[in-house]
Amino acid sequence: MNRIIILLSLLINFIDADNRSDQVITRQGQVSFFSYTSVENIEAKNNQVLSIIDFSKNEIAISMLMNAFVFKKSLMHEHFNESYIESDLYPKATFQGNIIDFDPLAEGIQTKMVKGTLTIRDIAKEVEIKTSIENNNGTYLITGDFEVVVKDFDIKIPPILAPNIAKIISIKFRFEYQPYEQ
Amino acid sequence: MSMNAQDLLDKLEKEYPNTPQYEIATFKGTRISLGHSIENRRKGVLEVKAMNLFWNIPNRPSQSFVADKWTARIALEYGISDRLTFGAGGSTLDGIFDGFLKYNLIRQRKDAKGAPISITLFQNGSYRSMTSGLHSNINLSDDFMDRTAFTSQILIARKFTPQFSLQVSPTFIHRSSSAFDEDPNNHFALGIGARYKVGGHISIVSEYYYQANPLKSIDTYDAFVLGVNWEMSDLMLQFQMTNARGMVEDTFITQTPNNFNLSDGNFVFGFNATFVLHFNQKQP
Repeated sequence: MNRIIILLSLLINFIDADNRSDQVITRQGQVSFFSYTSVENIEAKNNQVLSIIDFSKNEIAISMLMNAFVFKKSLMHEHFNESYIESDLYPKATFQGNIIDFDPLAEGIQTKMVKGTLTIRDIAKEVEIKTSIENNNGTYLITGDFEVVVKDFDIKIPPILAPNIAKIISIKFRFEYQPYEQ
Repeated sequence: MSMNAQDLLDKLEKEYPNTPQYEIATFKGTRISLGHSIENRRKGVLEVKAMNLFWNIPNRPSQSFVADKWTARIALEYGISDRLTFGAGGSTLDGIFDGFLKYNLIRQRKDAKGAPISITLFQNGSYRSMTSGLHSNINLSDDFMDRTAFTSQILIARKFTPQFSLQVSPTFIHRSSSAFDEDPNNHFALGIGARYKVGGHISIVSEYYYQANPLKSIDTYDAFVLGVNWEMSDLMLQFQMTNARGMVEDTFITQTPNNFNLSDGNFVFGFNATFVLHFNQKQP
């Protein structure tokens, strides 16, 4: 009887461990954004983006703190958080979606579409992003870029500053995943 | 969206490191309007400041353009570190030169664990280069030290909501000399200031400075300011209606010569223009 319990618990542990190895995580993902206009170029980078992928369903989630973006000018960081993103009210931006037709076991680089919901300032937008996914022995590197329309997320820009801020912001990301340990 | 993806987001929620999150933009500007706020600019940031006050002289057949009197304080204020600012300026009409150090001691944390308030220490010194005229008559003018005054403030503020911040500023002012025996050399005062953000870039601010022991040789009133701050890009504009006629702490707190109302001679209109230069740009 005892043996069976041990065997069972081992089996359960094994299944559990197997489940776990299906997930990979990064805690130092990089997201940068760029606003290019003839008046002013603005760029910012967040090095503390969290992301997790569950390969059993090819699902991906990304979460980041808006006030972790670093700007060239410190005052720009304050304006970004206080006047545009209002990070007091909406501290995080998130993404949840699926990697379409992805084979996690194949080594090397695959170019796949990621489809899902991008949420900034509590406003959700369906997006489709072309990404490059590199499987290097169980660690995955996902990179890509896409664009967002400032107006889609109800970010107010006063008319006097309209020439300084691009209507479309380009976003770059780079996530290096490690196996997820509980 | 499937339930699982939501689970993944919940999982990420637990992965956030426990780094403290501090409140930013309690007042945004280094001044609420006229008096100092708890804010400092970051390291390597220079503020070029022009503070202006305009008022009329009552019952005068004036032909002045716009206003009878104008005083401006031109100042440079530099962030030595993220917490320490040094600034120096000169005022045109009363010929007062001032310098100050401002140190941010405690920062308010967003989470419940940390400090619920921000505290900044402020110390200035001012020198009256004129022997008579506005703000200068109450000091002796025999030697350099006679013409000086020193203001110490403990600025205590809390950002209550993303819109509303409140500050109390216990103030001690020491004038090195008094021309009149009945005047105290040391003054105690309490400043109260508030900011209410009405839009992304616009806030309404107000300040009031209560004097515990005012001057006796002349009638003085408590300084009051009602203003609008417009914060955008590298330029910050602050407009104010006030009864104060000086921009250095010891002058507007202890030597405001009239009460706040809209009649000629009492009403003062002011604006500060601050241009912000970043010398220490980070590479994102």
